[in-house]
Amino acid sequence: MPIDFQTLGDFRVRVWAEGSGSPLLYLHDFEQHPGGASFLQELAADRRVYAPEHPGYGESTGFDAIDNLLDLVLFYRQLVASWEVGPLDVVGHGLGGMIAAEFAAICPQFVRRLVLISPYGLWNDDVQLPDPFALPPDRFRQAKWHDPEKAADAEPSIFEANGDDAFGDVLFRAQNLAVATQFLWPIADHGLDKRLPLIEAPVLLVHGESDGLVPASYAEEFAQRIPNAKVERIEAAGHLPMVEREDDFLRVVKEFLA
Amino acid sequence: MKFHWFAEATYGHLPEDFPQQYRSAWVDTPAHLMDPLAVGETYRMFIRLMEHADTVGFDGLAVNEHHQTAFAMTPSPNLLAATLASNTENAAILVIGDSLALYNPPIRVAEEMAYLDCLSGGRLIAGFVFGTPMDSVFSYGTKPIELRERFHEARELILRSWREPEPFAFNGKFTKLRYVNPWPRPVQTPPPVWVPGSGSVETWDLVIDENYCYGHLSFSGLQSAKPIVDGFWEYVDERGGETNPNRMAFTQICCVAETDAQAERDYTEAVKYFYTHNSVAPEFLAPPGYQSIPSLRAQLERGTVGISVEDRMRAANGEMSFWEYDEKGYIIAGTPERVRERIRELAISLRVGQLIPTLHMGNLSEEIAMKNTHLFGTEVIPYLRDLWADQPDEWTPQVSQQRVTANEPKLAAVSGD
Repeated sequence: MPIDFQTLGDFRVRVWAEGSGSPLLYLHDFEQHPGGASFLQELAADRRVYAPEHPGYGESTGFDAIDNLLDLVLFYRQLVASWEVGPLDVVGHGLGGMIAAEFAAICPQFVRRLVLISPYGLWNDDVQLPDPFALPPDRFRQAKWHDPEKAADAEPSIFEANGDDAFGDVLFRAQNLAVATQFLWPIADHGLDKRLPLIEAPVLLVHGESDGLVPASYAEEFAQRIPNAKVERIEAAGHLPMVEREDDFLRVVKEFLA
Repeated sequence: MKFHWFAEATYGHLPEDFPQQYRSAWVDTPAHLMDPLAVGETYRMFIRLMEHADTVGFDGLAVNEHHQTAFAMTPSPNLLAATLASNTENAAILVIGDSLALYNPPIRVAEEMAYLDCLSGGRLIAGFVFGTPMDSVFSYGTKPIELRERFHEARELILRSWREPEPFAFNGKFTKLRYVNPWPRPVQTPPPVWVPGSGSVETWDLVIDENYCYGHLSFSGLQSAKPIVDGFWEYVDERGGETNPNRMAFTQICCVAETDAQAERDYTEAVKYFYTHNSVAPEFLAPPGYQSIPSLRAQLERGTVGISVEDRMRAANGEMSFWEYDEKGYIIAGTPERVRERIRELAISLRVGQLIPTLHMGNLSEEIAMKNTHLFGTEVIPYLRDLWADQPDEWTPQVSQQRVTANEPKLAAVSGD
């Protein structure tokens, strides 16, 4: 089983871990952990990938001990330190990208290279992000995917239906998004723009051209503030380029991390 | 049984095609639809109506807090309450309530409520609310996941600040104050506390633990409320709490007239305006984190209770006849005789001791609302005083209880029997 629980003080979190070789930390977005998604398995083909489920999400506990974004970043510092693998590559998506950027600024000694996929964390009045918690379902799908018809069914998730619980999926999502409000509500700006210049690791920004949740121009907003950053835009992809354009995504990420 | 005059301060001049043209009367409703001078007239009307209510036997005058909505233009209930505290003599001033999480620092609530209690000579009821999602998390930006914790921290600070004789330091998670020592302090030690809820078990636990008055404040009437309110009483009983009906409040739109036919003529348009101009865009109704997961699960497992989804839609679309609104319980309408019978039925069925009759609704004229208030005060209230009369009431201020009672004989004479 690649998914196991790890206990750390007040926290008991699920960690998907697979492969062997140089370590990589993957931090998931605000909706859910992607489970054993194809792109994670591909990343784990020649290295060790750790993908924890954020405290409070799904079956990971310990959210009561987290009052703010800094608490979450320091939890990840403890978690990474507990693995005793030295500096690692960090890949973060959306909310996970925001956490990864904070982590790299606050704990530079832990981060070798950093990949930020469609990260939250900045706010530009001229290019405003939609409220991800208040988009009607149709508009949410339109914003999230380049091709909503094709992509929506294929989204990987750690969630497994339990036949006895008719509301399991609804409550799984409600709980995940409730936790996300701690970091993204009402505006996902905790002052990261001041801390991005402190990132020492080389950074790759990967952004779907059609991302309607975090518009693609935000990749440049990040890159401008980070000392060593480059941008790869993925065509025909929305907020989840690793799902809609897995091959293109893996190519640019693997090339950068090689 | 007690009666607290109430109305939502609804903007009564929205365009006729508002329900078709605009998705929401909350949060992002265009402000150009509002004429500030008309808003001022509306406020003055409500003040006149409540001043009259104070003279015809009402036990309380209720004001509430909402934000960014044409449905209820009372962003600070304390402002309206201050006018009433100054201009009335008898009734309790029922602030139901201040949205505790939205005051920063929340000691402001302790101060303003103390001001109201002083100004009214000890007639304040301190209502504390979470606020609707539209108010607290969309209009005021509170993180849904923090709303309840902020509420409770503020509640503890406020009550302690009224209690402690000496200045104290308060090191909360959200509020840090080195010197807590509000001036003034309330006359009552402390004012009675009311907390409304919508069926969540956490709120039930709170009101049972603290012996607060619980409010079920909906405008959907008896049928809709019955399963939830019954659930509340069962829970109170299970937990060994106080089952006195006076610790339960309920809102009910009432439309009183000389005859049933006159009621239909007087109120049909306003009732329809009320229900059709209160749309909430679905995305503003249930943001993640606003409800706890156990409460959400309980709600999902309970399903739709009381009134069918279809009927709820028809009510909101104005597709019900006046008497169908009445039959389904959304309103109680007709002659004073009919209204008092139906209220007695409702109060017994729900075990409610504090009714909050809503006597102005939608775009009702002042003239009809004044008639409604007068008939309700003189022809309905006196006939329902016997209900729960044997039960003590520690949830309304002593001063207002005494003054309203002192006025009663005169009112009984007015009523004619």
